[in-house]
Amino acid sequence: MKTALLVAAATFLLPVGSALAHEEGALQMSPPGAPYIQVSDALPLPEFIPGLGTLFVDPATLPAGPFLAYDHDGRLSATIYMTPLDDLRNGTSYDGLGVGSHTVSSVDIYYNAGHPGVEAPHAHVVLFHDEDAKSRLAE
Amino acid sequence: MPARRQVLAIGGGVFAALGRPRALWADPVESVEMKGTARGERIWFAPVGLAVMPGTTVRFTNRDPGNSHTSTAYHPDILDRQLRIPPDAAPWDSDFLLPGESFEVTLTVPGVYDYYCMPHEMAGMVGRIVVGRPGDPGWQGAAPDSADLEPDALAGFPPVDEILAKGRILKEEAR
Ligand SMILES: [Cu+2]
Repeated sequence: MKTALLVAAATFLLPVGSALAHEEGALQMSPPGAPYIQVSDALPLPEFIPGLGTLFVDPATLPAGPFLAYDHDGRLSATIYMTPLDDLRNGTSYDGLGVGSHTVSSVDIYYNAGHPGVEAPHAHVVLFHDEDAKSRLAE
Repeated sequence: MPARRQVLAIGGGVFAALGRPRALWADPVESVEMKGTARGERIWFAPVGLAVMPGTTVRFTNRDPGNSHTSTAYHPDILDRQLRIPPDAAPWDSDFLLPGESFEVTLTVPGVYDYYCMPHEMAGMVGRIVVGRPGDPGWQGAAPDSADLEPDALAGFPPVDEILAKGRILKEEAR
């Protein structure tokens, strides 16, 4: 029943995009429910990626995301975006992206040469949701 | 002196042709690791260039804790790519290797073998294995450059001469 409500809430709010965080409650613990799927279930990647944690994403939002990153205890620790450099250079912009939580303690941005799912060289933009999140996602 | 060195070099081939008793002479195994920086800024095969004797088994192992990689031969039978291994050799594809997983291929036909990592070819993650030496029966040299490969991938193959001279070539970040 609870799951059904979460799914309904997610479906209802999805078209709003940037309003994603308004349903914060539903996303704070893993799994976030539909339309999010666990990345390691769909792609050949480790379940817990050092530095990124356990990722969930709505496939319709690829490649940018938001990717919701959970720690080993299933707590939402970061929201991550993946933006291919060539797409940016060629004029694509990624606007109005959702966030998993309104609380952001720090942001890391760095280059990634590619991985299954987002194979083109891209930037990782990582919004950490609390001071300790980075260390919990480290390994 | 040059003559003597040549005889020694040929010696390995003669032994191989005669067939070695397995208990005494295990078939050689060489290792190539898939590696990457912690945040995935760079990824590479280590070594990127490797010289082996015909009959060597090459074991590819993913040592990158945050990424998956493949070892895939350039071959028309796999995704219709340019042929960049000897025509008589069988192509291979490890499929995705998760961290810690490995895949083995045994290379018997002399010549130059070029391979790539499927998700990272765009980032220049390629490798080259030289089996035997020029002049070995059936030897096939390096494939020519082709529009089938991105410049970043073509730039990743070490020259055959250098691989033969050094035996194994590590990229700078792998040292
Ligand atoms: Cu790779």
